[in-house]
Amino acid sequence: MLLRSIYLKTLRDYRVAIAGWGIGMGLTIVSPMASVAALIKTPEARAQLASLAQQFKWAADPVAAGTVGGYATFKIGIFIMLMAVWPLLAASRTLRGEESTGVLDILLSLPRTRLSVAVQKVAAIWTALLLMGAIVGLLAYVGGAKFKGEFGLVDGLLFGLNLALICAVFGAISLFVSQFTQERTTAAGVTGALLIVFIAIDMVHRVIPNTDWFSHLSPIYYYNLSKPLVPSFGISVGGMLLMLALTLVLTVAAIALFVRRDAGAAVRIPIASRFVPEPVASKALPERDWSLGSLYARSLATVAMPTFWWTLGIAGWGAWMVVIVKQVVSALTKLLSGSASAELRIIQNIGGGAARLDQVFLSAMFELLPILLMAFAVTQVNRWAADNDEGRLEIILTTPHPRVEVLLARFAALATATIVVGIVTLLGSAAAAAIAGVSVDEGNLAAATLGMIPLGLLMAAVGYLAAGWLRTAADTGLLSFLLAGWFFLSFIGPDLKWPDMTLRLSPFYYYGTPLLHGVDFANLVVIVVVAAVSLALASVRYARKDLTA
Amino acid sequence: MAAIIEVEKLSKSYGSKRGIIDVTFDVGEGEVFGFLGPNGAGKTTTIRILMALLRADGGTARIGGLDCWEKSVGIKKFVGYVPGEPALDNNLTGGQILEYFANLRGGVDRAYLKSLIDRFDLDTSRKFRQYSTGNKRKVVLIQAFMHRPRVLILDEPTSGLDPLNQQEFDGMVDEARQEGRTVFLSSHVLSEVEKTCTRVGIIRDGRLVRLAGVAELKDIKRYEITIHFAQPVASDAFARLDGVIKVEELDDRSVRVAIQGSADAVIKAAARYPVVSLTSYEPSLEDVFLRYYETDDQAKEAAGVA
Repeated sequence: MLLRSIYLKTLRDYRVAIAGWGIGMGLTIVSPMASVAALIKTPEARAQLASLAQQFKWAADPVAAGTVGGYATFKIGIFIMLMAVWPLLAASRTLRGEESTGVLDILLSLPRTRLSVAVQKVAAIWTALLLMGAIVGLLAYVGGAKFKGEFGLVDGLLFGLNLALICAVFGAISLFVSQFTQERTTAAGVTGALLIVFIAIDMVHRVIPNTDWFSHLSPIYYYNLSKPLVPSFGISVGGMLLMLALTLVLTVAAIALFVRRDAGAAVRIPIASRFVPEPVASKALPERDWSLGSLYARSLATVAMPTFWWTLGIAGWGAWMVVIVKQVVSALTKLLSGSASAELRIIQNIGGGAARLDQVFLSAMFELLPILLMAFAVTQVNRWAADNDEGRLEIILTTPHPRVEVLLARFAALATATIVVGIVTLLGSAAAAAIAGVSVDEGNLAAATLGMIPLGLLMAAVGYLAAGWLRTAADTGLLSFLLAGWFFLSFIGPDLKWPDMTLRLSPFYYYGTPLLHGVDFANLVVIVVVAAVSLALASVRYARKDLTA
Repeated sequence: MAAIIEVEKLSKSYGSKRGIIDVTFDVGEGEVFGFLGPNGAGKTTTIRILMALLRADGGTARIGGLDCWEKSVGIKKFVGYVPGEPALDNNLTGGQILEYFANLRGGVDRAYLKSLIDRFDLDTSRKFRQYSTGNKRKVVLIQAFMHRPRVLILDEPTSGLDPLNQQEFDGMVDEARQEGRTVFLSSHVLSEVEKTCTRVGIIRDGRLVRLAGVAELKDIKRYEITIHFAQPVASDAFARLDGVIKVEELDDRSVRVAIQGSADAVIKAAARYPVVSLTSYEPSLEDVFLRYYETDDQAKEAAGVA
């Protein structure tokens, strides 16, 4: 049934993603509803919550933050944009990716026009996004009903539709960009970077007055014009139509380019081609290239560029939080003077609880660092699994090196990368503290930044172990699920009064709150031991398994 | 000739799906051995077990006296390998790939490596993803030959190569043989095997159905001889002769005789009559090969394989 047309076959390929992303993002929007219900029991608490939300308006618009729907919309804020990762990957893969692997050649040999092939494949992506949006909307509605939200089913579905539209915009950007690139990864990377830039552009008007015009340049601005989970705010039909129009224009342009260009070739930009020298045929060998000297060196070179960008992001986040802590805490202190605040409880789960609010705030913000480092590890595990699945290691494994050496070289390179991230984050944060005049315990800062390294290694080791049995998509999906699960276990679990034994299942429990309480070596040992055992098992499995590309 | 590759009762299955069943053969040192079979017959499975990419369910496989699974690292020191579907880092240039593999092998004779690059006329400055199928194959072939391995295991090595480069490859295999090195190559291109190999194994449905020298395989071939006589000759005169499978009377003065094995009896019988012309159609190895896949039982009977 689902193999009857290109459209249905492509949609069939996305069935796991539809369920995974739909349910995952749906639960993401529901989870803050669970915690806010406890935080808005009294009118005073509700008012305080709304006031606190104003302090974090740089991240998201705090509209009706004292309500279930408003708080959930605000709390998730920019994190909902995670869902845009799927369409940007899928759209870069659907034409460019399949051209690279030769799959599209076969499809194009069928008695169908290119236009028909492209339209069916792209339509499947948009359908998948709509289905994801519907699942997210339904779950939001169910969450709202459970925690006494003020919105109904239609509001929930409109929330899903709004989300699907902004995701479609990024999918369309990726599809368009991929017409100009030879590799799908380049298109996905460019679109990913644009996603971050657009998030930042959207933030500007919330931080700097009278800059709305600048934020209009970001499609995310138009997503934020609608807040369906806040019925009093409602939706912006204009904003949604603009996103739809943007999606259609970019999609039509991308398909128009696709049907006109050579299959497998990129659209040439006349000006850009002037700066690209024509390759000169050569028979030379790069004898002095350090990165080709060993398995470890090659692995390190492979991970170098992603490490640079992730280091920039993680260390930048740490340093930025140190720089702004004074201003944020100053505002919070005025707000919270003399009260046993509900607000503190919000961030105490993350920050770990302490006497001083600046410490709690900074600790809470630093708790995000290991999550980012673990996400980086997930991307590298994905690469390892893909290299195995696609047979890129086969010839390497027929050189006189044990399989375990090949695996450990990759792991060692990733370990080196995580250490670099940790050290640069430490140095960046320490420098930011010195420049901004923020007092931070140096030992604890080192514990918070370097202490995240074992968590990154744990994620990698678990991923390598799972890759012994699972294909790339399943392995990455499992790790992403684990990461999200651990996050909610540690940061939502305490609100839901989950037992200590359950909370101990998350590695964040063992990471603790090092910025406040320093390093707990016993807990660190638990992480290291679990990582080491996982790596050992992964090595044994890899040494013994059949390698079938 | 001492055996350098020894395979005995080798079996491998993929869950409920058949891989190979009780495959047994030896390859002598210095021999060029062709491993023939249609798609899905088990050629690549056998090769991947030899290269320790798969673990056999049963039986043994040894190269140079070393167990292919247990001593795989030792074996890989003197083996060069070409996979059936080469996949390498798309972002590396051909030159970077060759340099990397040269380093992984602890260094190679650079002059020889450069001579191989020249021989295949490979542009090493292009990225692997930019190469055509044939050029990708060249990169993989060069990496297999560049350390002058004692044993070359090549899975459909000339797939995608143009005739000129196939000729170059044939020359390299011939040189390897002259230097006493062993070549084990799988193929379904019979002319390639006929040109380069001394012995052949034929695998079908996971089982080795024939193991013989190329010349021996021709012994089981089926001839067709068309004879035109100056006078009418009864076709019965040929029907009961040794080796005759079938006689077809084209007209009262012409017959077509299908022969299995020696044609001696047919030639002697024909000589009793005035012969105008005699045309023999000698089957290529391809015909021999195809017969094995026509009917399994007939093939086994003809080959004498139980």
